Amino acid sequence: MTTLWRKAIRDFWHERARTALVVLAIALGISAFAAVLSSYAILTRELDRGYLATNPASAVIRVDSIDDDLVNAILQNPEVSDAEPRRTISGQLKSGPVQWRNVMLFVVNDYGNIRVSKLVPEKGAWPPATGEILIERDAFQVAKASIGDAVIIKTANGVEQPLVISGSVHDVGQAQARMENIVYGYINLATLAQLGEDPYLNQLNILVAENRFDKDHIRRVVADVEEVIKSRGHEVRRTDIPTPGKHPHSDLTGILLLAMSSFGLFVLVLSGILVINLLTAMMASQVRQIGVMKAIGGTRWQIARIYFGQALFLGIAAVIVSVPLGILGSRALCRYMAMFLNFDINSFAVPLWVYLLVAVIGVAAPLIAAAYPVWSGTRAPVRVALSDFGLSQTTFGASAFDRALTRIGGTFSLIAFAIRNSFRRRARLALTLLTLAAGGLFFLSALNVRASMINTLDQLFGARKFDLTVSFVNSYEMEKIQRAINNTQGISKAEGWFATEASLEARRFNVVALPPDSQLQEFDIIEGRSLAPGDTDTIVVNNALASREPKMRAGETVMLRMGNAETTWRVVGVAREAFSPAVAYIPHSGMVNNLRLALDKSDPDAVSLVKADLDRNLEQEGVRARSSVSTADTRFAFDQHMLMIYVFLIVMSSIIGGVGGLGLMTTMSLNVFERRREMGVMRALGATPRIIWLMIVAEGVVIGVLSWTIAAILAWPISKAIGDFMVKIMFKSGLDFVFEPVGLLIWIAVSIGLSAAASFLPAWRASRVTVREALAYE
Amino acid sequence: MISLHQVSKSYETPAGKFSALRDIDLEIDRGEFVGVVGKSGSGKSTLLNMVAGIDRPSSGSVGVAGTAIHGLSENKLAVWRGRNVGFVFQFFQLLPTLTAAENVMLPMDFSKSFPFRERRKRALALLERVAVGAHADKLPATLSGGEQQRVAIARALANEPSLVLADEPTGNLDSVTATAILDLFRDMANQGTTVVIATHEADIARVIDRRIEISDGKIRPSSV
Repeated sequence: MTTLWRKAIRDFWHERARTALVVLAIALGISAFAAVLSSYAILTRELDRGYLATNPASAVIRVDSIDDDLVNAILQNPEVSDAEPRRTISGQLKSGPVQWRNVMLFVVNDYGNIRVSKLVPEKGAWPPATGEILIERDAFQVAKASIGDAVIIKTANGVEQPLVISGSVHDVGQAQARMENIVYGYINLATLAQLGEDPYLNQLNILVAENRFDKDHIRRVVADVEEVIKSRGHEVRRTDIPTPGKHPHSDLTGILLLAMSSFGLFVLVLSGILVINLLTAMMASQVRQIGVMKAIGGTRWQIARIYFGQALFLGIAAVIVSVPLGILGSRALCRYMAMFLNFDINSFAVPLWVYLLVAVIGVAAPLIAAAYPVWSGTRAPVRVALSDFGLSQTTFGASAFDRALTRIGGTFSLIAFAIRNSFRRRARLALTLLTLAAGGLFFLSALNVRASMINTLDQLFGARKFDLTVSFVNSYEMEKIQRAINNTQGISKAEGWFATEASLEARRFNVVALPPDSQLQEFDIIEGRSLAPGDTDTIVVNNALASREPKMRAGETVMLRMGNAETTWRVVGVAREAFSPAVAYIPHSGMVNNLRLALDKSDPDAVSLVKADLDRNLEQEGVRARSSVSTADTRFAFDQHMLMIYVFLIVMSSIIGGVGGLGLMTTMSLNVFERRREMGVMRALGATPRIIWLMIVAEGVVIGVLSWTIAAILAWPISKAIGDFMVKIMFKSGLDFVFEPVGLLIWIAVSIGLSAAASFLPAWRASRVTVREALAYE
Repeated sequence: MISLHQVSKSYETPAGKFSALRDIDLEIDRGEFVGVVGKSGSGKSTLLNMVAGIDRPSSGSVGVAGTAIHGLSENKLAVWRGRNVGFVFQFFQLLPTLTAAENVMLPMDFSKSFPFRERRKRALALLERVAVGAHADKLPATLSGGEQQRVAIARALANEPSLVLADEPTGNLDSVTATAILDLFRDMANQGTTVVIATHEADIARVIDRRIEISDGKIRPSSV
């Protein structure tokens, strides 16, 4: 080992406390980056692998009914590898005395021979016997039931029937039941008959033989299959072709994790700032040594290599520390995401490319951060470097800004002194403020984004003046339903609506027909006007539909297909609806297939009582509700979707705050180190160790308060941008931004606490240096 | 060996232009031991810096061992200095995190003038030569001023330079140690090394071959 390397290592050892802080800060940044990058690699792999292991259907075709002949005819097509009949039917489930919950029943004829979109048995019986139901493992919490319990099920056309929960299954392809607030149940055909429904299957899960990931190929095969179905006198009601080979949540997960990775990279950049601070201070303290090395024959590059070597060491040490931490972090994150998305992780193995990328970035980041301080530190000509008088001679007071600072702080000298001291090394202060303010910004953003999401949802749900939605399988005259409503206690207002689907150039969207003067739905019109009494062929679209379909602008006329008919509509307005799918609203007339009800009381028990009472009264009128959902339950599902955004932001702000704290500790440690002689003078003049200690802690707190000020000023635009960005990529929607003032109070407390804690140790060490030692320091 | 022709050096200071050297003409032969004496601020350190290539003349030319060093770049100067010049400073300027032996090895590492395996052996030999071999593996902070200066001299000799320059090498030492250090320089000159010492102490006549007196940036004619 040459003396150059020895010097690099020993200089760092000499500065070991600060070196350790910087290694820790970089390690924190790399850990965060490694955790999210590993999670990205693991989750995208496992999500798709787990999904593919179920042999997911290439397409799902809903028809009027399926028999063996139809299935055999479809299987004649060599491009179809498999065709498996099923049925999906919605209904309601009751596990307790009162509350009905929505259930999606999956009916399979032969559980022993499921080949497409497989289910994984988890606990209890398999397959479900007649009179039994299996529940998706994540849906137990929604059902509020356990294996062995009896639950009452009722479907649209059936009777209330008790079924025993005999086991649990894992259905990888379904969205998390808790988030959707729905129960997924699995029964056989005989059980369906027990429920009073006609025991037939109407859904074909098709698997293509080749090119399973080619959507165009699947489309062509499905078109052929549809022809076969029609040629045999059956009706094709709807065809869905999911993205081949991709779990329904795969893209969303990928986007979220990529966003996390970019924040991890941001943390790494912030920790690089500490390298800049450390090396700048080290270079400044070694100017004369650099001059000596040049005088005895060292070239600029040879000397720069010493300091680049130190940066390399920082990077390598940080990578060694952070890789295990990152892997642990990724496991925790993967488990959380797996629970969130309801899938299992078979292997936490991190691909080699992740290790390589983390190592390269971890090592490169400090080297890049070191580039400027090293290059500028080795720039001084020999004569200038040799004549360097050391750091304690740096001047304060030359600029107008310095003189202005002397007027801040009032008569309390400690504060005034702390303010002036904090501005002595302005580049270092700026970099420290950057890391601390970034932590504050993320924290404030997390609270603001959370408040804005709540506000946006409040706006969305505030426009819905109804507490309960009851859907029917069939359409009915409103008069018939009105009688049931009139006989039900607790309903203050009711409207009959009609929900259906329409398509514009084969692209489907929901259509809701409601009274033009609806009392239960308000629109936030952003273009044109709302529906008005007397309207007949007018349509108001929400912003999701307007942004998807350029033709859907106020003033345009569009041709829509509803069922088998094509009709012309005038778009009169665009309404803003956050977090909503594409919906068109038209004036209602005639039959209704769902009810919107405003209730006297909207607490869960009151809503359940009204639901039960209304169900009975509707049945007396011969009307069967298919499902009912309270607005509060819908809101709960939205809140669950939002939860992970602000959990993520809070976690990121904690990590950045940690890096900021370590940065401040490094800064205070450097400030104290450079001013040792000055402190010796103060001690000689009578300052007690306590005063020295207080002075340094006060300086740290001044920096903390400054960082809070910057974060507070920038919080509004930055948190709005972050919120809009995250909500846009996840929900294709915007936010009704609000600022959370409590965040400012919390963060000032955190800033002061963090600053005081970060400067405590340097202050304590400074206060322990003897006067003689301090004065002897050059 | 050393040839300065019409060398002037001036600096811009807040108080105006300051001339450190004025029209210096100087020739020093190989193996000569020259003492540059003068008061503080007279320009003797600047003169040494010119010869070492540490500073550049505002005008004039500097030639050392046939090389016109005033025209070399900073990096080329550093390489040239490492191979041809040994420099001894008033405050020793040993690197504090390197041991005595490592400080001596440093110029060899910079210049790669000796094979890697030989560098420590040579450093130990040089330390023995200046009588601090026993302190080879100690850090500078644990050595006395005289011992540190001996290590600094050993470092200056690391690459067998033909020229050793010393700026106030005894200025920070007691008289007994200073005498011993000056004797070391005398030994170097006796072995063919050109030695130039800048000092404000007049009492070096017994060791030097020639005395150059400098005042207000000019060499006194009588002294050359």
